[in-house]
Amino acid sequence: MIWVAIAGSAIVTYVVRAFALRVGLPGAVPRGVARYLDALPAAIIAALAGPAVLVPDGALTRGPELAAAVAVVAIVAWRRNLLLGVLAGVAIVALLRLVLPG
Amino acid sequence: MSPQRAALAEGWPVLVSVVLVAIPFGIVARQSGLTPAEIMAMSVFVFAGAAQFAMVRLFVAGTVWPIVVATVFLINLRHLLMAAALRPHFAGVSAARRMAAAFVLTDEAFAMAIGWFRRGRRELRYYASFAVALYVLWVAATAIGVLVGPSIGEPRRFGIDFAITATFIAIVALGVRRRSDAVVALVAALAAAALTSLGASVVAVVTAGAVAPLLVLLARDEPAA
Repeated sequence: MIWVAIAGSAIVTYVVRAFALRVGLPGAVPRGVARYLDALPAAIIAALAGPAVLVPDGALTRGPELAAAVAVVAIVAWRRNLLLGVLAGVAIVALLRLVLPG
Repeated sequence: MSPQRAALAEGWPVLVSVVLVAIPFGIVARQSGLTPAEIMAMSVFVFAGAAQFAMVRLFVAGTVWPIVVATVFLINLRHLLMAAALRPHFAGVSAARRMAAAFVLTDEAFAMAIGWFRRGRRELRYYASFAVALYVLWVAATAIGVLVGPSIGEPRRFGIDFAITATFIAIVALGVRRRSDAVVALVAALAAAALTSLGASVVAVVTAGAVAPLLVLLARDEPAA
């Protein structure tokens, strides 16, 4: 299953990258379509993060994940540094899980 | 300076940050129970940072393969437009070379190439050098992560399991240019969480991720900040 998923993902990723370089797109992309495609990756990535922040392990978060998520957004907005935000998020989650009784 | 040297001289901070993303990818994927062969295959053949992290998350959740492939497809759909924007610069190049250029097309390589072409330069070696360097570093750094991954004990205790989520949040936060970007991200995150808690976790990400961007079509045209 995992190998089928990897092979399929490799194929669709390559087709998406190669299509316009091989055959070109017919005419200009409609403005609405371009805006939708522009917004799509961030929306999917946010959708991946949402459940892990709000309902980790299938139950409503007791706080650590949400607090860390807010901190990551704040740090990234402030310093424009991905790695710093991720390290801070991981540290805050670890700390709060330690402090809050499980 | 030759185009090759210019690509590395201008692009090295980006290449360093690629290494700093690929090592955690290898670690997290290993901690998630994937085999070294599976992890390396993702970096060698899929070669797409955010999509690879997404795949790990979906594998951990036991997601069926069509949903994994659909999610990867939607995350990488943006490359269609990037390739279309690069196409005129590759006009005099053989189809085989364009096909090779497509394999190493990433957000970073696209951005560097556009910056080069906007300065009136035309050499494609700039794109090729940068894109191939990024590919080699991505694969090598993944291998480093795979090797050191098992020596980091009990992931949950150190919050390592949160690293993927924190990476997703940081990627989204870095990409916010307009208010509508933030609104779309919040709606997508909340909708996916709601669908998950209602038991629809299999389709939550694809559904929320594909529907939320429709909101930008309702937003007034704002110039990017």
